[in-house]
Amino acid sequence: MRGNDVILENLSMRFGDFVAVQPTDLKINAGEFFSILGPSGCGKTTILRMISGFLSPSQGRVIIGDKDMSGIRANARPTALIFQNLALFPLMSVRDNIAFGLEARGIGKKARQDKAQELLSLVALDGHGDKLPTALSGGQRQRVAIARALAVEPSVLLLDEPLSALDLKLRQHMRAELKELQRKTGVTFIYITHDQGEALTMSDRVAVMNKGVVEQVANSDEIYANPATPFVASFVGEQNVFKGKVVAKENGYAILETPLGKMLGQNTQGLNQGDDAILFVRPERLSLQEKPGQQNSLSATLERRDLEGPFVNLHMRAGEHPIAIHITNVDQTHQSLGTEQKLWFAAQDAVVMRPGELASE
Amino acid sequence: MNSLIKSYGKGLTALFVGLTVVWIAALIVLPQISMVDRAFTYEDRGGAAATLSLEIDRAYQEVFQISTSLDDLRAEKEALSSGGSAASQQESVSALDPFATPAPTPSQGVNMLDPFAAPSASGSSNRTAAQIEADEAPLIAKKSELEAKIVTLEAKEKASTDTVGLDTSYSLKNFTEMSSVHLQVFLSTMIYALCVTVMAFALCYPVAYAVATATSKNKIAILMLGLLIPYAINELLRIFAWVMILEKNGVLNAVLDMFGIIDLQVGEGFRFVASNGAVFTVMVYAYVLFMVFPIYNTIDTLDKNQIEAAKDLGASTFRIHWRVVLPHAKPGIAVGAIMTFMLSAGSIAVPEIVGRGLHPDWFSQVIYRRFFEADSWNQGAAYSLTLLLACVVFILFNMAVFRVGIRDIAK
Ligand SMILES: Nc1ncnc2c1ncn2[C@@H]1O[C@H](COP(=O)(O)OP(=O)(O)OP(=O)(O)O)[C@@H](O)[C@H]1O
Ligand SMILES: [Mg+2]
Repeated sequence: MRGNDVILENLSMRFGDFVAVQPTDLKINAGEFFSILGPSGCGKTTILRMISGFLSPSQGRVIIGDKDMSGIRANARPTALIFQNLALFPLMSVRDNIAFGLEARGIGKKARQDKAQELLSLVALDGHGDKLPTALSGGQRQRVAIARALAVEPSVLLLDEPLSALDLKLRQHMRAELKELQRKTGVTFIYITHDQGEALTMSDRVAVMNKGVVEQVANSDEIYANPATPFVASFVGEQNVFKGKVVAKENGYAILETPLGKMLGQNTQGLNQGDDAILFVRPERLSLQEKPGQQNSLSATLERRDLEGPFVNLHMRAGEHPIAIHITNVDQTHQSLGTEQKLWFAAQDAVVMRPGELASE
Repeated sequence: MNSLIKSYGKGLTALFVGLTVVWIAALIVLPQISMVDRAFTYEDRGGAAATLSLEIDRAYQEVFQISTSLDDLRAEKEALSSGGSAASQQESVSALDPFATPAPTPSQGVNMLDPFAAPSASGSSNRTAAQIEADEAPLIAKKSELEAKIVTLEAKEKASTDTVGLDTSYSLKNFTEMSSVHLQVFLSTMIYALCVTVMAFALCYPVAYAVATATSKNKIAILMLGLLIPYAINELLRIFAWVMILEKNGVLNAVLDMFGIIDLQVGEGFRFVASNGAVFTVMVYAYVLFMVFPIYNTIDTLDKNQIEAAKDLGASTFRIHWRVVLPHAKPGIAVGAIMTFMLSAGSIAVPEIVGRGLHPDWFSQVIYRRFFEADSWNQGAAYSLTLLLACVVFILFNMAVFRVGIRDIAK
């Protein structure tokens, strides 16, 4: 099995007046684990269905391995789709499920069975071949769906939130398995999710989508550390958000006038004095330190303390402004509620951006 | 039962159960038992006894006629011997006769009164006594011969009523004595009903699939309405609508005429009614809903992603249906097939109205005639029991073929 690259050229989809996917250009590399991350209804599934051939785009085209897919129907494309609900055939045995794609290609019974056996081992389901899918656990069914898709040796595997039906533990376990399978097979994975944890942990690269627009394509670290838009900044991970006006800028940094006082952050978008702006600071970048005389110092009262185990979430309030802080569960974690605390963050940990839509989560 | 009591209370539950028992007993079990009882009761009424009594009746009638003729001849003889008085006597006879012509001859008057009189009696009035006696002799001989025959026949009848008579013992004769014509009608009805079922399935499956997989809500509503509206109309009206279409001077021929395929003016035109095709068409139309809905219901519960998954894995349309949709729809198909088969095998309105008696009989028509025309309820009961058994066999066969249980069907 070998992956192919997938190129989306000016691809867009319109349902009546509603544009589900704005014109998009994207190149997904051969053998890459590529995720599309976005909130519900942003057009992820629509993109996937255009790649798999179930939807013909209103505009633009899909190219898989140098081949234009326009006019090629779903059952003739080198893609295989894994559905959110898996869509296993409940009346067929696990083995027949896996061999279905080969059966559809007119491959003989013996060869089918052999291939099915091979795939059963690949997904660690030896001995379960004669069961019905309903007799398997959620994780096992998941693996059957993957084996069934891999049986037809696709060069691109499309996965539409395949883990969303599983419980948390299993989901985390399956992440590792999926990543391992992808590495073993070398097939291009296009993985759709609204779960940033999945996207960040498994992917080589992530595309963050909002309202039919791909806002940023980068690897996980880049997405997390250097979000390109306010939406990406607020959708991936948590953020403390401060709104204000730029009062000064100097060598890559901007000073914002906010209701909580002056704040300094990286001016990645090159804002000018007088511009409205938003400043983002991640909760783990805030520290309970007093740095007298320094910029970016705040004082807030502790309202709630949530112990997560390895780290602690502190919910504080500075005037009317809620502030979230994550600290590791190492020391100084027993703050008493209602006490006023001094906070501080470094200027290089804060990003100043032009105002834009924020994720509503 | 306990859950019923819990949710409805004791009184209401007792009422439910009571009503159900009454309903089952009075409307299902009792009629069926009496039907079965009749079916196995053999009543010998059509056979030898009936022929005998008919023959005896006929003989008595003949004897009566002959004796009337003999009376006439005797009267003539007396008139000859008593001379003139005969004229006045004959006049009085003709006066009594309301059909008498204004100027009746004496012999004509007698003739009118007695149409059975021997031709010799209407001869000229001046017949000799010898001539009359010559006429009399063969009649007397015939009469005595008939009387002898009656005696033997009556003896025979008496003997037969003692042994066979109205034998109301239980027997399988009602079933085994099905004439070959009726048996043939029965078998062909089974085959016709099977044909109707297959045709209904062939028609309904694509429709049910299309409706069940339609994505737009409006489309589903319109399709449903289209299917349901015809069924708001009385069944007879629906059938007659087809008669209007298929008549020799009906809509279909008019359309063909319009396109110049035939010319109604010179009497061309197909006689569509009273053919197998017409009966099948109307029957499929009449019972199509009972096929569409069960199939629609099962396909509707199919996860449409499975269809897409099959397509995605490279399956052809045929394979998608054969491996994914049909297996899932099996219970619905079984229910639809059973309902359509039973309705069409038992249908009487369609073959009666569309078939016009020219189409080979449907078995239900035979049953009807057994009951109400041949007045043979026992045989009718036996025939309907046969039909019922055939339907039960069909149900079991269906369940075996589709590998569905009663439970699946009940769903
Ligand atoms: N066939 C359709 N007709 C009209 N609108 C559609 C159709 N399919 C999708 N849409 C709309 O397009 C938008 C994007 O849908 P899509 O299924 O791609 O979302 P998604 O990102 O996959 O969301 P989710 O995470 O909930 O699955 C939605 O607002 C949806 O209502
Ligand atoms: Mg989706």
